[in-house]
Amino acid sequence: MYKIMMFEGGVYKFYELKELVGDLGGFILQESVMQTETMMHLAFPEEDERKIRNKIKGLGGKFKELPLAGTEIIIVVPSLGKHHAVDPMCDIAEFLRRRGAITNMMGLARGVGMRIAQITTQEKQIIEEFDAAVFVFGTFEECIEEKAKICKKIDIPYMIVGGPLDMEFEHYVGGVGRKTARMRHKNEIDILDSIASELGKALAEKRLDIEEDPIAASPLFIKDMIERTIPPKTGEELPNVIQLDGLRVKIEEEDIEKINEIEIGNKKLSEICEMKKSQYAGYLLKIKSEAVTGALF
Amino acid sequence: MEVKVEGGSDIANESYTKICQDTFRDAGLRSNIDDVYMLCNPKELVFIIAAKIGRVSRPVTVWDITLQEGKKLRITAERYAPKLLALLWDKYGEKVEQLSRLELLLKLEDTEIKELLDLVLYDPKEDLVARILYALDTIIPEGARVRSPIHSTNSVAIIASENPIGEGQKNKAEEIVSKYV
Repeated sequence: MYKIMMFEGGVYKFYELKELVGDLGGFILQESVMQTETMMHLAFPEEDERKIRNKIKGLGGKFKELPLAGTEIIIVVPSLGKHHAVDPMCDIAEFLRRRGAITNMMGLARGVGMRIAQITTQEKQIIEEFDAAVFVFGTFEECIEEKAKICKKIDIPYMIVGGPLDMEFEHYVGGVGRKTARMRHKNEIDILDSIASELGKALAEKRLDIEEDPIAASPLFIKDMIERTIPPKTGEELPNVIQLDGLRVKIEEEDIEKINEIEIGNKKLSEICEMKKSQYAGYLLKIKSEAVTGALF
Repeated sequence: MEVKVEGGSDIANESYTKICQDTFRDAGLRSNIDDVYMLCNPKELVFIIAAKIGRVSRPVTVWDITLQEGKKLRITAERYAPKLLALLWDKYGEKVEQLSRLELLLKLEDTEIKELLDLVLYDPKEDLVARILYALDTIIPEGARVRSPIHSTNSVAIIASENPIGEGQKNKAEEIVSKYV
């Protein structure tokens, strides 16, 4: 299993860390160099964490855990109108990004109200393309109870964020509700912290499922192989996004054949992955379990 | 401006008090409104909100937003510049020339310039109700789409629900509004 962490530090002997990650069989997921400051998301085998930590200590950099790294999350609000956007949905999305997740936002077409709130089949399918969903609702308890019925239809881990402090849902964080300003006070940051940890709990179930029935190859490895075949275009942000059990690849239709032919160990990519066109962006690759594909190496 | 919100849980009331304060502040209406009263009934999703109109600022004249330097006018509040130019070009045509972004040259007699400085550029009373309605629309939950105005002499009030609003509800709302605002 790979561990994903963030490195922050200067450019001094920065290349040595990159080389070490490469030598250990790890990957650089994101890299940004701003003058003398660098930030990198590193993925490396879990057992080599000590070696990476020692190297970073030697370089005088900082190391940060990213508990949500490797996941793609969708934040869902009842609408994209002035009542629900931009606060608090953007605050939550930003905070989850700081914890390593890749976030997307979605406003339902008819999600407002209590009796009239509904979700379309297409919206449900889009939400289910992600690893987990965060539903951000309003202030009234009665309204949230009614809207929670919409969430029950969703077939991926999800959590609800709302105004009332306590509600009887499996994964719920209160104290947010409707906001007219950014969540920047100490108590609000604490709430955002608890949202991130509650989402981590919701995702833990999915992670456990994957651990019990491991997938044929790590999404990180497949992403690396895809990017070797089809290099990302200059300036393109996140062309390929890793999920817990697959990837979202943003490629042209004519490149599908090339991707299917990529060799992963002794199999082709098309043999270990199910590919389907995403309703949201690009193509989704779901990696089959090792029990189905057999050993790759 | 005093805000009173009732009917919901403590957290909901507190939250909507803040929403009212922030929305009226963002709309630039805090000084124009004396009291705001909101009654929430989340079980039936019915909301009544009323804003009592207080003092309204006096009309803005050309003199208020410009500095006269001989035959030249310097605009001191840029947000009024498009309105000012439209007014002057409409009234004086080519006799008013825009030298730079905030500088105007007036090819007018002194008496005409004096008259020009007294022209009313913007009267806040004109769109006050429209701005209050916009703020109320922002405050009321989006799901309460059925709206009905409540008649009142010195306030703007609305009853909103996601279900059809009956005459009984309207009358009750009128009573509540007249009692509190």
